Amino acid sequence: MTADLLRVLGLWRGRTGWLLAGVGITMLSALIGAALLALAGQAVAAVLGGAAVAGTVAFLLLRPLIGLRPAARWAERMVTHAATFRALADTRVWFFRRLAERLPAGIGLRRSGDLLGRMVADVEALDGLYLKVIIPVAAALAMVAVVAALLLGAPLLAAAVALPLAVALALPLLLAPGAARAATEAAEAQGRLRAAAVDPLLGIEDTLAANGEAAAGAALAREATSLGQAQRRLAGRAALAGAAGTLLTQAALLGALAWGLAAGSAGVALAVLALFLALATAESIGILPRAGTALAAAAAGARRLFEAADAPAPLTEPARPAALPTGHALRIEGLDFRWAPDRPAVFAGLELEIAEGSHLALLGPSGIGKSSLAALLLKLAAPQAGRITLGGVDIATLAAADVRRRIACLTQDARLFDDSIAANLRIAAPLAPEAALWRALDRAGIGTLVRALPEGLETRCGEGGARFSGGQARRLALARVLLSAAPVLILDEPTAGLDAETERAFLETLEAVTTGRTVILITHRLTGVERPGRILLLAGGWARQAAG
Amino acid sequence: MASSSAGQQDAARILLRRESRALRAHVMLPVGLGVAATLAALGTTWLVARLLAALLGQLAGSAAAGWPELAAAAALAALGVALGLAQERAQLAAGEAARTRLRDLTFARLLAAGPADPRGVGERASLVVDRVEALDGYFGRWLPTATLALLAPLLVIAAATWADPQSGLLLAIAGLLYPFAMAATGIGAATASRRQFESLERLSGRFLDRMRGLPTLVLFNRQEAEAEALGEAADELRVRTMKVLRVAFLSGTALELLSALALACIAWRHGGLPGGDPTAGLFCLLLVPAFFAPLRAFAAAYHERMAAAGAAAALAPLLLEPEPEGLLLQEMPPKVVVTFTEVRLSYDAARAPALDGLSFRVNAGETLVLAGPSGAGKSSVLRLLMGFNRPEAGRIAINGQDATALRPAELRRISSYIGQKPHLFRASLRENIRFARPEATAAQVEAAARAARVADFAAGLPQGLDTLVGEGGWGLSGGQAQRVALARAFLRDTPLVLLDEPTAHLDPGTEAEVIDSLLKLCLGRTAIIASHSAAARARLGRVLEISGGRVAGSNRAIQA
Repeated sequence: MTADLLRVLGLWRGRTGWLLAGVGITMLSALIGAALLALAGQAVAAVLGGAAVAGTVAFLLLRPLIGLRPAARWAERMVTHAATFRALADTRVWFFRRLAERLPAGIGLRRSGDLLGRMVADVEALDGLYLKVIIPVAAALAMVAVVAALLLGAPLLAAAVALPLAVALALPLLLAPGAARAATEAAEAQGRLRAAAVDPLLGIEDTLAANGEAAAGAALAREATSLGQAQRRLAGRAALAGAAGTLLTQAALLGALAWGLAAGSAGVALAVLALFLALATAESIGILPRAGTALAAAAAGARRLFEAADAPAPLTEPARPAALPTGHALRIEGLDFRWAPDRPAVFAGLELEIAEGSHLALLGPSGIGKSSLAALLLKLAAPQAGRITLGGVDIATLAAADVRRRIACLTQDARLFDDSIAANLRIAAPLAPEAALWRALDRAGIGTLVRALPEGLETRCGEGGARFSGGQARRLALARVLLSAAPVLILDEPTAGLDAETERAFLETLEAVTTGRTVILITHRLTGVERPGRILLLAGGWARQAAG
Repeated sequence: MASSSAGQQDAARILLRRESRALRAHVMLPVGLGVAATLAALGTTWLVARLLAALLGQLAGSAAAGWPELAAAAALAALGVALGLAQERAQLAAGEAARTRLRDLTFARLLAAGPADPRGVGERASLVVDRVEALDGYFGRWLPTATLALLAPLLVIAAATWADPQSGLLLAIAGLLYPFAMAATGIGAATASRRQFESLERLSGRFLDRMRGLPTLVLFNRQEAEAEALGEAADELRVRTMKVLRVAFLSGTALELLSALALACIAWRHGGLPGGDPTAGLFCLLLVPAFFAPLRAFAAAYHERMAAAGAAAALAPLLLEPEPEGLLLQEMPPKVVVTFTEVRLSYDAARAPALDGLSFRVNAGETLVLAGPSGAGKSSVLRLLMGFNRPEAGRIAINGQDATALRPAELRRISSYIGQKPHLFRASLRENIRFARPEATAAQVEAAARAARVADFAAGLPQGLDTLVGEGGWGLSGGQAQRVALARAFLRDTPLVLLDEPTAHLDPGTEAEVIDSLLKLCLGRTAIIASHSAAARARLGRVLEISGGRVAGSNRAIQA
């Protein structure tokens, strides 16, 4: 737990200034609050005791503090919140980067709903670490120090008042481990609940087609119940901690009174001061034990974030990447590959040579490994044996980003984002002018359709291209790949979902629009209009020349 | 724009009022406990004031209270703490009751809205999880706290008036000023809060969208740019949130200022009165924190109300809609005849209609292949028959009865449907197949797996049919995923079969095998299959060419 929390603080290092400013202003505002009530107490004691002059002086001192205190509280809240949001934004982006490194080939067996929960909810749980733990503890520390210093003259009184406050200070640490389990359960249940909501919505057509509404609702209710139980346990602990805090501040108050009763007339002034100090600290100390549950919740959020962020990367980048070669001929030598040790081999000793600018069709039944070959060429997976060279250099020694600048790929699951058509296309070439976008759209055979849209290039695509038909979305994704400047193109089933006529039209122009580039066309069948330089048939982990 | 936003707020208010009525009993318990806790606190304060007066009285030479009062104060304080604890627990229960009610209803409505819902999955999931969570605060914290913020200060004023009428008056004035301060700062907070929630939702949606397309981003080396864009989105969220908080914290500041002023006034009043029993003055002075504590809780909870108003406005269109009406299916028809007469459907007023007066008929046991270019309206036919969309004009009849008279869920009971991208859930192959008919026996599931030839490739997997599949079919090829969907259709065993491009991603060998399975599936059933594939057209059955949303070539209804 401690290690995770320290690591979180490390992630926030860039915001040290903001975070420390928040701590400083919090302590200041706590001290002003204490001074306000201490002076009020002194004034009351002096007036009732007959020393009217001392009382008046105390009142005069009181006046500016009355205005200062609310201002300090406002500034404290603004600064601490601003600091928290900055730190949390950093954490979000850091997490996204880590996932991009670790899960490039897709989210795999992780649930995207769960990941969303991790990113949004767990990162927000981290704000508790600063706002609900560090800040109240800083305020309370300042208070306890002042109480102890002011009452130094009477050690017994100082003990009677400061001891309960000190116990309240220690409570968060004592309560945190107990709350940690409940917090972990709550965070996990929250992730499962979100997944239970996302899963049937992702497959909404299939859920409805199976009349699965009731089952999906029951699954959601089940997760909600388990979340409710975990939250109740956690909130129950928080309530107990809050009760403990109130009890301790009451103990400090009554302790001051008891000391006054026992000490007699000599100690009245000091007892009254102590009483008012105890009142002043009641607010900040009373909520302190709740910091224990906040600490536990933050730790649980941190644990889940790091667990996802620390998954081993599928490929290690070379420490010192080789310089990118000038050529881009591809060569595959003695390649062995399987996705996991317990899955069947995809390639065994595959040999293949693809010259610069050649067009190659890769054929084979589904599941034979055509897409795996694309993943290997793009450094999304590493072979168990053998090597792939690009321009004569082993791609294992090249930076993945460099390889992907040379090789662009239309994958089977190429995705359109919920953004404009133009923004989706410019993923391949951020600086491409509009004319280039239109050219790519025309080449992919969808320019006419886009021109007919009222918003043209600015039309939003919807999540996963949902605002377009399957074939239209596929052509938009194709246009994106054609727009890229990469000299090698891998087109994995580029015409899936297109009607025969559009498919023919695209394949007939494919050669013309890709002249000078290497094209690897992955397909399960040839329509007869393609004119690839070579056709290779993949079968049983081997490549076989099918035609010249 | 302004009127639609006012309409949204009205809808939100209606929703909150309806739910408050339903949850009244849950909300009243914490209020009762809170009143009891306030009474205990008043008792403690009175005893502390007497003790303090006694201490100061010692200075003046008279003692009025001692250890028994101290013991009583300690006991009352302990009672107050226990009551506070009970109150908090009761509030938790109220919040949970509200959440359960609303979550179930919201989710059911979202599922009923189906694939036609234009919102992204992230946004819809956020409705079920985050928005409902925001409403929890309304019932669990806001309603009890708001009631207590009225009752508890009244009790305190009564106690103060009993001790010293003028101090009571001072507190009453402070209490009356408070709503003005809140109103001045609260109005700005309401609009700002709505904007902040929209922004939070966009961030969630954007993250889910980008996460699912992470491979695409990585392949174009755009992950870094996207990370920066996410950072900017988070920045935007921060700026918006700080705007809300700036105002929200101001109302807290106004409260503190009032509290400090009340304290000073009461101290000043009693400071000017030499002699007499100081107990009443001290009591009033010590009451100031007790007076403002419920108001402070009110201010903190006020933002729950704001968040809840935003959430309610988002949920209201979904939840206030009357229960969708429609007939129930009397009995499962053994055979199905489907007739379309002049059916029209358009998704978007700006684009050409998807179906523009389409008419055709499919007889019982017949297989109809819908052919035609992309966007001709093939999928729309299937969507209408699944009740995902409703026709704008024309008539869809099943066995001569109007299909749209049935509830959509009832209509779907007749059909087995495989969409263009069948979704596999994160579960074993077996569970994914069983999904189509949860009550099926193990033998039936295995028979369906064999009929769709899932068993063939499952044999090569480490755990056979129990192999875990990732969300969206990770770990399976397109053809394998298609066969799992086909197994679902076999298991479902309905009189009508609707297939959208069942062989789109398959190589000729696999396609031939899948078509063999399809022929078996369609045997004795009525089937409508949208397909580009030449092999499918040649082997599956009668072909109907459509283009531009109507039967190609002519406009006549096909009579069989």
